[in-house]
Amino acid sequence: MKVRIFFPLIASALLAQAGCTTVQPWEKGKLAKPEMTFGGDRLETRYADHIYTSREAAAGGAGVGGGGCGCN
Amino acid sequence: MVDAVHRFPFESMASRCEIRLAAPNAGTAEALAQAAIAEVRRIERTYSRYRADSIVSRINAAAGCYRVECDAETWQLLAYADHLYGASGGLFDITSGVLRRAWDFRKPRVPGPDELAPLLALVDWAAVRREDGAIFLPHAGMEIDFGGFGKEYAADRACAILQQRGARHGYVNLGGDMRFIGPQPDGRPWSIGIQDPRKADGIAASIAVSQGALTTSGDYERCFDLDGKRYCHVLDPRTGMPVSHWRSVSVLAPLAALGGSVSTIAMLKEADALAFLEASGLAYFAIDSAGNAHHHSISGDYAS
Amino acid sequence: MTISKQTPQELAASLLAAALLLPGVRAQADEPPQNGSISLRYLDYADRQPGLDRIHAHSPSVSVTAPVAGDWSVEGTLTADDVSGASPRYHTAISGASHMQDERKAGDVAVTRYFRRGTLTAGAAYSTEHDYVSRALSLNGTLSSEDNNTTWAFGLAGSRDSINPVNHVVVDEHKRTVSVLAGVTRVLTPNDIAQLTLTRTNGSGYYNDPYKLFDNRPRSRRENTVLLRWNHYVDATGGTTRLGYRYYSDSFRIRAHTLSGEYVQPLGNGWTIVPELRLYSQSAAWFYYDPVYDATLGAPFPPGFSNGADPNRLSSPDQRLSGFGAVTVGLKVAREIGKLWTVDVKVEGYEQRGSWRLFHDGSPGLAPLRARVLQVGLTRRW
Repeated sequence: MKVRIFFPLIASALLAQAGCTTVQPWEKGKLAKPEMTFGGDRLETRYADHIYTSREAAAGGAGVGGGGCGCN
Repeated sequence: MVDAVHRFPFESMASRCEIRLAAPNAGTAEALAQAAIAEVRRIERTYSRYRADSIVSRINAAAGCYRVECDAETWQLLAYADHLYGASGGLFDITSGVLRRAWDFRKPRVPGPDELAPLLALVDWAAVRREDGAIFLPHAGMEIDFGGFGKEYAADRACAILQQRGARHGYVNLGGDMRFIGPQPDGRPWSIGIQDPRKADGIAASIAVSQGALTTSGDYERCFDLDGKRYCHVLDPRTGMPVSHWRSVSVLAPLAALGGSVSTIAMLKEADALAFLEASGLAYFAIDSAGNAHHHSISGDYAS
Repeated sequence: MTISKQTPQELAASLLAAALLLPGVRAQADEPPQNGSISLRYLDYADRQPGLDRIHAHSPSVSVTAPVAGDWSVEGTLTADDVSGASPRYHTAISGASHMQDERKAGDVAVTRYFRRGTLTAGAAYSTEHDYVSRALSLNGTLSSEDNNTTWAFGLAGSRDSINPVNHVVVDEHKRTVSVLAGVTRVLTPNDIAQLTLTRTNGSGYYNDPYKLFDNRPRSRRENTVLLRWNHYVDATGGTTRLGYRYYSDSFRIRAHTLSGEYVQPLGNGWTIVPELRLYSQSAAWFYYDPVYDATLGAPFPPGFSNGADPNRLSSPDQRLSGFGAVTVGLKVAREIGKLWTVDVKVEGYEQRGSWRLFHDGSPGLAPLRARVLQVGLTRRW
């Protein structure tokens, strides 16, 4: 059980430490590509979330505020 | 509307130039580009040393003799040059063009002090008299020229014309000094490579720019190498010798005229350049004589 | 002019002021260029188990994003789900499966304000179907560091659902939830960006599935998720790997792992291909009971029912709360047409099996569930 609590702490510590050499604005060309962002196609993501929420017990993760449904 | 980007290369001010802009069709793009190119050529003609009828030639011909009346545009350019002289501690001096008579960058020859001394006596912006809309160069042989920011000023004027006529995406590139109209048609910034000072087709860094200007001063534009030392065209007005501390200085600024002035002054300031660049508040990318990069970025405004 | 001594701030201001005095270098002040988009998408979903076609859904939706007045943008989505088919009343029992047909309409709107270093988004969502109405509000914000390499995200949302099942098992039930989110996105290298997001949801109210027998769940649910995502650009191919891992745990004692991966490969001429793979594994809810029935009464009665076990005890024969593993395999092909249009087609296959649960045994005795998903999308930018 304790491992479950430590994991997000370790992950966030790693994330904060990672990339210690700062990436400069002129090096960010590739990061601006749509596939490198975390958004993705809005409707495609919604369909995926809706399908998995109605067939599996786990839900959410990336955002909050979607509202529910009586999915069978 | 996401329009196609049209390219218009041309030659001006002894450099390869290009206008890129997005427009609904080729006809509109052509009309916009021609208006901008016409303005660049007008500035080139008006301020050219090589045309006997240009205002600069007339001012230089009258050196030591009589005052020359200036139009409003020339008057404001002279005022800007004066401000730069003060801001650079006397290093940016538009009367230093006479040193060109001792330096011929097509031949690898370093002029001796006896050649430079008489020319250095003619380099003295502080002595130039400007009053009542007229300018007087006190000593015969004195010259002024706007080479220090003329190209950049032309880029700003061309961009303003394009923006006033509705262009929203594109840039004006005059020999490597660029002023941006706006980002690419899909909203993404332009990815511009900063020339590697020692490799003709190499890139030292890639900058994403959407608006403002990106200007570069470098020791590779007109230069020669002798005995392992680089002699470039940026001359210290106090000694007549080329500066050597920096291989290139690139600056991001809201106007090309501002960026070009700051990058040239930084080259002239040599060891004090970084303090000057910090004080200017602009984002910069400078490569020193050892090849090391020094940079400072202001995020959000011009580059992403 | 004499050489003046200026402080750094004065120098910066004076240089800019002097340059601005140059004639005709500035056009009239104008707004920066902006762009919006409109997307249409259609989903065709069908699942089945051996011997029974289950749910079939057709779902068209439309989404519009528009920049407003320089610092704002508005986004809205409308969806209509046409769902029909059969659902087992308990476990994966074919006989007695309930047949349904329903239309769900949902819409949501979000308004975002852009600041120099962050954003603030307020959103509202509403959905309605014959037996279920859901309303939700949310507030999300982001804050970026000066160098734009780190972005913090926070969110708060609440929902209120009204449930009125057509079989009148209950009338006018409610469910309320409150969720919070905290996350950080970090640029690691010019080719790598990673994101960690934590969410917590507290809910209370009616969680039962009214169309399933002996489905009696707790009246509260607390859920936690940890999501770690990593996008990596591959210089050699020009493609991008998109990996994600989510850990989920809740007060039903369900713990789930989700590992998903996508590879985006541009092919030239505007074509892009995206294969995807998703692995999922969950444990059963503590009150879920296996398809082993009361010795006297038989299916669907839970064991011990005839011996006078408390009729209010918590239980559920819902396959979704059992222990299982699932695999999704999918492929998307997209094409950019000119600078304005993008069209894409996506095909996925999904299968869920008790025996595929990772690290532990899954719930026995349930038929595998298979689904196929087809999506077509069209986007126009302006």
